[in-house]
Amino acid sequence: MMDVGRVCVKIAGRDAGGKCVVVDVLDNHYVLIDGQVRRRKCNVAHLEPTAEMIKIRKNAAHGTIVEEFKKMGIEIPERKSKPKTERPKKAHGQGKKEKKAAAEKPKKTKKAVKEEGIESKVGAKTEEAPAKAGKKNK
Amino acid sequence: MPRPKHRSRSFRKVFRKVPGGRTVLHLQKQKPKMAHCAQCGAVLKGMLRKRASLLRNVSKTKKRVSRPYGGNLCSRCMRLKMVEKARV
Repeated sequence: MMDVGRVCVKIAGRDAGGKCVVVDVLDNHYVLIDGQVRRRKCNVAHLEPTAEMIKIRKNAAHGTIVEEFKKMGIEIPERKSKPKTERPKKAHGQGKKEKKAAAEKPKKTKKAVKEEGIESKVGAKTEEAPAKAGKKNK
Repeated sequence: MPRPKHRSRSFRKVFRKVPGGRTVLHLQKQKPKMAHCAQCGAVLKGMLRKRASLLRNVSKTKKRVSRPYGGNLCSRCMRLKMVEKARV
């Protein structure tokens, strides 16, 4: 019953209800299937054979099976596999610390504050001094 | 004395150990029934048993199994249904 080209309906798992075709017979219990389901090894007990047969070669490619299903009036949408993205490697809890550090502004130490104050005062004096000198010269 | 609204059997008693070391009685609403198969009445697996308000923030994959009729029919009944469909 389970020969290459036999159209079946998958009756178990997340692909249940999808039509598929036997692509290869692996042993007494397992076959390779493809069609409205993911191409995979499948237990014969999880398939319900129908009267339909498709003429395909053993281990036929997915494209040929899609064409054959089209002739039967069943469209199989293309499955696009997502490109794998690498996860950023982080030690446990490291990410949080980094975020905190970025969010916090650099704190001003007392010394830095004092120095800034002195510099501003000195700068003001130096600016004023030449002006005064200019007045005296006049 | 419990609050008037807590004087009801519809609340279940939960003993909670608080940080201070005391054991305190909390009164919570009863857990809902386990989900059952719509056809045979068997208990469904892979379903969360929580109140609807708590399930609102839970992902779909945690609330039902990922197969046709998942969360409604058990696997056996689903299989029978699929076989029926295939034969018709």
